[in-house]
Amino acid sequence: MMLLQQFDTLIMALIIAFALLLLTALLPWLISAASSRSRAVREELVEVVGCLRCDYESSKKHEKGDYVGKVVGTCPKDGAFLVVKAIYVERRAQGRAGY
Amino acid sequence: MTVGGVKSVAAPIYVVQVVSGSSEIASYLIVLLFLVSLLMNFTDIPQRIQLQRFSSFVRRKLYALEEMEVDARRKSVAYMSSVGIREPSKILEGFIDNFFLIRPVEIEPTDIIRRFKHLIRVRESSVREYVRRVLGGADRSVQYSVETVLEVVSVLRLLNKLVRHYLELGLKYNNWILVMQLAIQMPELVEIARAYANSIDAFTAGIPIGDSAGPLVAKMLVNWRETSREISDGTNLYETEVDGRRIYVIKALGPGSNVGWPGEALEKLVEELGGAVDRIITVDAALKLESEESGEVAYGTGAAIGDIGPEKIAMERVASKYSIPIDAVVVKMSEVEALSPISKKIYEGVVKSYELVKKVIREKVREGGTVVVVGVGNTVGVR
Repeated sequence: MMLLQQFDTLIMALIIAFALLLLTALLPWLISAASSRSRAVREELVEVVGCLRCDYESSKKHEKGDYVGKVVGTCPKDGAFLVVKAIYVERRAQGRAGY
Repeated sequence: MTVGGVKSVAAPIYVVQVVSGSSEIASYLIVLLFLVSLLMNFTDIPQRIQLQRFSSFVRRKLYALEEMEVDARRKSVAYMSSVGIREPSKILEGFIDNFFLIRPVEIEPTDIIRRFKHLIRVRESSVREYVRRVLGGADRSVQYSVETVLEVVSVLRLLNKLVRHYLELGLKYNNWILVMQLAIQMPELVEIARAYANSIDAFTAGIPIGDSAGPLVAKMLVNWRETSREISDGTNLYETEVDGRRIYVIKALGPGSNVGWPGEALEKLVEELGGAVDRIITVDAALKLESEESGEVAYGTGAAIGDIGPEKIAMERVASKYSIPIDAVVVKMSEVEALSPISKKIYEGVVKSYELVKKVIREKVREGGTVVVVGVGNTVGVR
């Protein structure tokens, strides 16, 4: 009985040693896996449209075929040309912010 | 003592019985550990195991690279079909692996820039001719974009071939150090390949990328107006005024994917003006260090251009010939960001650099003076 107990202790010690070794080997992977779980991000292409004469500016969703410098209409304020002044990607985190 | 003596006689017998049972296993384990330690320390087995581990890691990443290449090929074929190219797959195959450039002899540096410039121009005209032949009378912006898409797929193909080459070389000669180095570099290589693969969407859809920072600043300076004239092949010149200073702005012809010849254009302009230029300001995207934030703006001296030689030296030569101060304004970003559609953060950097250029003009150039601003970079999505 005592022999069995001693044998169990030895096996237990070996199992613990093996588990610790495995944990040490997997630790970098576990850390990287935990840190890479980032929140989903939604990307949207936005274009800034502005008047060439006054300070009128508005932003809207990018339309296919638009480029910076393209005339896209007339200014609602003074009737001058409206051009695309910028196109960029806006990133927004999806879902509710954490508390 | 007697009681203790009895105990001391009985106990050792019992302990010896216990230890002799487990000690046999322990002895086996110790011998096993010793043998394993001997094998691990005095043979090549660990290196062989590592070679297998690293090579399987590289192979996994190589599959990812191949997927990117296949995806890029598919997108480029779809784009070429959409602009009216017949047999786009054949055009793609005819371009990949061809149109390479052999660098000029460097051991004799005399006129190396002239030789390099000549080779670059010859290669570019060959590519242009190849695309023009299949595109017919299409718009130049479309032609530039098709050329860029073909170049991107070509880069992805080359990257795949190089990775496979070093992997097979390492396995062939059991060079575990080579395979290990490759494995360590793979995440970075995959990221660069991903940036190239994603850039196809921007080039085909005509969306400005991070590298378009310079042309965007140029366009802001001229209040988004049209060009005055084409000063060099695929490079436009604009004229404007900022607080009583005459400003000449140079940028590549857009909105197709094009970088133009900013060095040659600057050289021509300064010569045309007889060297009567008070300041040259170059604006470009610059690779950031990992510790730096994307969209940061910095100001310095020199020609801000990521050119392999001829264009940059043209800028430096003309500036030094007429002793014109030359400034550099850069927007910091990573390599991935430089090739991806421009983010809001980098766009804010563009606005900051525009303000900085105006500040430099106001503070360092006298009223009535002349300034040349060069917006260096790919003008995709920016007319």
